[in-house]
Amino acid sequence: MLRFLAVFIGLLTLMFGVELTPWAQTWLVAPWTDGVARTATAVIHLFDAGARAQGNIVGTGDGSFAVSIEAGCNGVEATLVLIAAMVAWPASWRRRASGIAIGTIAVQALNVVRVVSLFYLGQWSRDAFEWAHLYVWQALIMLDVLVVWLLWVRWSPAGAARDGSQGPPGGPTGTPPAPAPAA
Amino acid sequence: MGRFVLRCLAWLPAAFALWYLTAPVLLAPSVWLARGLCAVGFPDLVRAVTDSGATVTFITRISAGTTAARGVVTVDVNLLLYSFGLPMYAALTLASRNPHWKRLLAIGYVALLPFVTWGLVADFLKNLAITSGPAIASQTGFSGWQREAIALAYQLGTLILPAVVPVVLWVATQLRPGVGGAVSSVARTAERS
Repeated sequence: MLRFLAVFIGLLTLMFGVELTPWAQTWLVAPWTDGVARTATAVIHLFDAGARAQGNIVGTGDGSFAVSIEAGCNGVEATLVLIAAMVAWPASWRRRASGIAIGTIAVQALNVVRVVSLFYLGQWSRDAFEWAHLYVWQALIMLDVLVVWLLWVRWSPAGAARDGSQGPPGGPTGTPPAPAPAA
Repeated sequence: MGRFVLRCLAWLPAAFALWYLTAPVLLAPSVWLARGLCAVGFPDLVRAVTDSGATVTFITRISAGTTAARGVVTVDVNLLLYSFGLPMYAALTLASRNPHWKRLLAIGYVALLPFVTWGLVADFLKNLAITSGPAIASQTGFSGWQREAIALAYQLGTLILPAVVPVVLWVATQLRPGVGGAVSSVARTAERS
């Protein structure tokens, strides 16, 4: 437990520190954010062919409203949290890699939903936009990370056992614990 | 797992509403903490910390201009920005149907308050030392590395801590000693329904 928390916090701090460097911002975060804007615009095109993406900005065709995707809204931090949690948890690297790949898709998919919803909320009500943007979606994205991680933990008991942990009491399927081997 | 998520989503609106309506009282201890922190850590910078609703105002000793009629710089910070983890943690805890939910809510409340204060003070310092411009920033006396540290503290306090700490805290309250126990405990909690 303590090891998990220590590794999680250490990894998250390290990755977050790297993310804030100018190099990472220029070469990783900015292109990623632009990609989120383009993906969100592609989804919006299903309902509104006039929407446009320009860099990290998603706007209406007539220029009456636009949202700018900034740090905290591009899903990067949420993905870093997920990666840190999966790497910190005892599992094989193969499971970690597949979990990170699938989890990243899940987090980013919901993040696109966030951007699209904010795009329409902002045109409807500024107050609703502020509430959803500043509080509600922040919580929902992190809940998404938690659910993905919980599912991954639930489905990767073999990794925990292989890495030398005690294994869940009663085993992953809830059977009674095996007696400890005699010394 | 599905029902756990649904229960969590059902609790979120109620928790958010309660948090928003009671914010001035609920978050008062974090303002007291900020007041104490500023009195100890930045007595030359901060004259007073006041609050009105969910807005905290830092009244500084920094001059706002160079004329005879100059005033002092004040910085307003929205406390809600750094405290939405409280309703998030409450929703997770209530959705878990833990028999000790009252105790867990109390533990979470006390544990999260310092992180709310972190965001609050870091926001104030960032405004004063970085975004206010050189005329004001130069009066703070912060060195280059201190400004970098303030920027990092602000980014952490804005982008990571408010959303991550409640989740980590919730996971920690579901864990049992030993990683193996944690696997079953966390998974069972989410799966109980």
